[in-house]
Amino acid sequence: MNVRDTAPEGSVLEEVSFELNGHTISRSVPAAASLLDILRASGQVTSARAGCRVGRCGACQVLLDGCAIPACLVMACQLPGRRVETVEGLDSDPDFLTVRDALAGANALQCGYCTPGFAISLVAGLRQRRQGHQVDLAETVAGNLCRCTGYGGLRRAVGQLSDPGHHANADGPGDSLLGEQK
Amino acid sequence: MRPESPRQAVSFAKRFRAPYMAGGTWLQPVWERDRCWPGRLVMLNPGWPGFRGVDENSEGLTVGALTTLDELARHPLTDPYLPPLKGLMNHVAGPGVRHLGTVGGNLLAGGDLLALALALNATVDLVGGKGVNSESLAEWIREPSPGDLLRSVTVPDCQGWPVAVEKLGHRERFSPTRATVACAHDGRQVRLAVCGEGGAGRLVVTEAMLRDQGVPGLKDLATVAGSELQALGWRDARLRLAVRRILSFLLEEVNRGV
Amino acid sequence: MGFDRTMETRGDIVTLDTGSAADSPSAVNLHRRIEGRLAYATDQQELPGLLHGAILRSAHPHARIIRVDSARAWGMPGVQGVVTAADVPGLNRFGIVVRDQPVLCDDHVRYEGDAIAAVAADTREQARAALEAIEVSYEPLPVISDVTMAEQQAAIHDTNGSNLLARETLLRGDVDDAFARCAAIVEHQYQTPRQMHAFMETEGGVAIPDGQGGLVFRVGCQSGHRDAQQLADILGLAPDQVAVEAVATGGAFGGKDELTIQPVAGVLALQTGRPVMIHLDRFESCRAGMKRHPVSVKITTGCDAGGRLLGHRVEAVLDTGAYASLGPAVLANYLDHATAPLYRIEAYRVSGRLVYTNNGVCGAFRGFGGNQATFAVESQLDALAQKLGIAPTALRRINLRSPGEPGSRSQTVRWTAPPADVLAEAAASPLWSARHAGAGRWLTGTGMAMGAQGNGLGDDLPDSGGGQISLSPAGRIRVAFGFSDFGQNIAEAITCSVCDGLGCQEDDVEVVLGHSRGPDSGPTSASRSSVLMHGVLTSLLPRWKAMVCHQAARLTGYPEDGLEPGPGGLFLNNHQVLSYRELAESSDPDCMVAEASQDFPVAPGHEQPVGRYLQLQIATVARVAVDRLSGRVRVTDLHHVTAAGRVIYPPGYLGQIEGAAVMGLGMTLTEDLPTRDGRYVADNLDQYLIPVFHDAPRQRVDVLDNTPKDDPFPVRGVGELGIEAVAPAITAAIEAATGIRVRQLPVDPGDLLMALSAQEQDL
Repeated sequence: MNVRDTAPEGSVLEEVSFELNGHTISRSVPAAASLLDILRASGQVTSARAGCRVGRCGACQVLLDGCAIPACLVMACQLPGRRVETVEGLDSDPDFLTVRDALAGANALQCGYCTPGFAISLVAGLRQRRQGHQVDLAETVAGNLCRCTGYGGLRRAVGQLSDPGHHANADGPGDSLLGEQK
Repeated sequence: MRPESPRQAVSFAKRFRAPYMAGGTWLQPVWERDRCWPGRLVMLNPGWPGFRGVDENSEGLTVGALTTLDELARHPLTDPYLPPLKGLMNHVAGPGVRHLGTVGGNLLAGGDLLALALALNATVDLVGGKGVNSESLAEWIREPSPGDLLRSVTVPDCQGWPVAVEKLGHRERFSPTRATVACAHDGRQVRLAVCGEGGAGRLVVTEAMLRDQGVPGLKDLATVAGSELQALGWRDARLRLAVRRILSFLLEEVNRGV
Repeated sequence: MGFDRTMETRGDIVTLDTGSAADSPSAVNLHRRIEGRLAYATDQQELPGLLHGAILRSAHPHARIIRVDSARAWGMPGVQGVVTAADVPGLNRFGIVVRDQPVLCDDHVRYEGDAIAAVAADTREQARAALEAIEVSYEPLPVISDVTMAEQQAAIHDTNGSNLLARETLLRGDVDDAFARCAAIVEHQYQTPRQMHAFMETEGGVAIPDGQGGLVFRVGCQSGHRDAQQLADILGLAPDQVAVEAVATGGAFGGKDELTIQPVAGVLALQTGRPVMIHLDRFESCRAGMKRHPVSVKITTGCDAGGRLLGHRVEAVLDTGAYASLGPAVLANYLDHATAPLYRIEAYRVSGRLVYTNNGVCGAFRGFGGNQATFAVESQLDALAQKLGIAPTALRRINLRSPGEPGSRSQTVRWTAPPADVLAEAAASPLWSARHAGAGRWLTGTGMAMGAQGNGLGDDLPDSGGGQISLSPAGRIRVAFGFSDFGQNIAEAITCSVCDGLGCQEDDVEVVLGHSRGPDSGPTSASRSSVLMHGVLTSLLPRWKAMVCHQAARLTGYPEDGLEPGPGGLFLNNHQVLSYRELAESSDPDCMVAEASQDFPVAPGHEQPVGRYLQLQIATVARVAVDRLSGRVRVTDLHHVTAAGRVIYPPGYLGQIEGAAVMGLGMTLTEDLPTRDGRYVADNLDQYLIPVFHDAPRQRVDVLDNTPKDDPFPVRGVGELGIEAVAPAITAAIEAATGIRVRQLPVDPGDLLMALSAQEQDL
């Protein structure tokens, strides 16, 4: 297997068409171009961001056929016929609004740069849950990095989304600090 | 390049010296880091028969190489055959990567599933220039045949086997593997396998000792396992120590279940 | 404002809770960020004619540049500009304290991130491809990578003589005499890592020609005014030709305090006459960006039989990397914290050396040398307590300073609560009575540490700032400060203060931040913004209120002293008589502009104050679980008791402590960027591991505040406090769980396991 082929970038272009936030977009791009770069170049998406480009931070997370995936790891050649959703297209999606309000209510963000990525992971989780699957919402955000908050507000938001009857502040001082291992 | 069949894929890969593309989650970071993208890719099609899905058959359980890690984790056959697999999967890569990454990709990259598959004595079906053939996974990772396309991996009917597996990383989730240790009892003997920083393999010498001596002293187990790990390529003595201790712990768990 | 400010009040102590902010107007700001509708510095795509810049960095950590040939780059597709050192119009150097870092290197490269040339092209990919066409020939030089040997090796900077950039010693009393009288002395080496900021948005922004020969920079940065001055010098422009707008950025933590991409973007923008965006990808940010100073220190501390600290000697070496940046200020702050501000020590000799190497570049990073020193000091106290056979809390109780006593530099200090009370609250934490698992694979333990922090830039650095308040044409109360927003909720805190001070509501207030043509508030760093903001508003608000009431009285005919600003407008006898909008529409805007500035508070009566005047404290109690099979450490709980003045915006205060604490947790358990022959061994977030969601402990933040209502300085900046004591608290907890004290960070699970195993064999 030769992965060190140094064919100049842009030398083999493919026309890719896929659905973005409910409408079809078509672009002519190198086969190895990432979905992240296609989205950002489209002028329609800024919520997916290049935090690392190696799929390790979650800042570029989008929904691909309903699954939360890092857009930097998806290549143009994997896109034809598929459905991409970003937070730009979810503003009237009930699951997104639930997530948004939980995040805002728990003050789960500071700079907010990573937050759309978290929102995408949680929306995917809520959809799964509505379809009757068992979902551990904390596991859905295991791949989203945040550097500002120390995850405090995010823990509270995830607690609230996991058990809506629970008070938003799942880790308030009323709860014992003593407890079983997670 | 979009070959129409696995055989055509193998031929394209050979002819154009192009890499296979499954999920791309292993390759993409390599290309990004080296700033070097291949001119051609051979796209693998999960629609090819036998390449995707989890199937019970007379040999045991067969998992298509293009099954995503997430699909495997959530498959209804996973719990009856391998109860610890779901828990392990939460520690394999991250949730987003698991939607894209495949079982085959994980095995080829020396990922966490390798320890478990080796402990279960898995076999692999390969599509080569001359058709499909099977060999043991252990043999294949020892002597890979470049250009061969991995179609599926099969584990024997391990329903009811006590199986324990643990991944040691650097942080709670989403971590590169330091070591993954797997321990399974097939009704006659215990099988042990590792993968991670020091390389992948079955600990056959340690298995033999356990088989011959029954319950060994901890010191003997430590010595034998330690030497075997070192021979496999595990150079960091501190990591070997951790692996040995986790191994003892998993052995206890498995023996309790026998 | 709808925040539930307290959950539980026991006397003066309050446990913070975010409350439910879902319905508050500030939720709208949060919604924008969650919905991805806020354009960060590197999201600015829509500029006409925008070019993308890429930077060619050194192939060697240390080399002489023989030749740079960029001719072929001009012919590459999409290229509109190519620059090298010769193209820098003004001073080809920058650096906050010492201007020793080239914008584009001319004859020497001193670390692998050094910039040599840059290209602007139509797309980012074209710019990066064109870099390959630039030929550089080097004469590699010996790499200075061992900080302990660097001073004996050839100087990296010709102008400096040796690789010793700075040295400083703080003295009190006769430390040798003090040691001679000690009943117990402990001496240890400590090491803290080269940590990376790992802000989620990497360095980036745009340089835009203003059409009149000048430039406007819209970037993620921390000190727009200071940057504008440096940029004017670099670009050969008059100061008023350079404007910096600090665009909302995804995290900074000190890593955007120094100039990053602005100089190169500016040079390219001047050459091409077009806006140029440079956005470093994570690989480049890891390689070229700022880091935390790794510190190696030997400390000797002794006490008498009664536990009173008599002598303390500190010898520290800080590896500052290739360029000075804020290194000298970090050294000064390290030493300040190494004098153990919370404790009375009869005599000390605290000295440190700041050394150049080819190991990257180090500069400002949350904590700024202080938390590295506190790690060592607190660990020393625990060692001493153990030697003396008393509890760690007891040793601290004996030596804690009380309010009214001078600080550790003999300076006047202001605490907002007695340190003894903070200790007492920490000692009463429920974490101490946690059930400790004995059997099983997880060993649990609880430990604590204390830390102090001072606000302000410190010794000898000019430290002042101002703000402005006016009424916008649309009738909003416009409050302008020069601070940058990098997610620290400064706009919310300002809004809260203005609403409290004027009686208006959130919707009435518009906060404008970070314009270099606006008020200069000084750098957004050193935990100084809240203090300055509070001080400036205290001066501004009454004056502005008077202006507004005067103008409203003129317009309405109502008596001036009967009018009061309130939600939406001006009120007479609780009845709104004029909206802010109406007031704006009927008035000349200049008649309602108030400005104020002040010096950062320093101890009064001193000609040259040393140390910091406004002090804060934290005690962190940590509970950990150590896996006896692998040596891996998990922090399950952190309980912080803080004494940091009045809380202006509770979610902001809580978020700063929690966020800083987890950053400290990362420094303690997994984060380090070692170099091998001057090259970093990790280059992205798959190799440099920061804490993930599941690594985060349960946290609780208590606020202890005894400041009287009329205290002139009721507010402190808590941006850095949370990181101060978390590392020694964790290592104290590990010791409680395992009997093993770790003194090199990050904790190596392999080493811990070996120590555990050795201990088991001794049993």
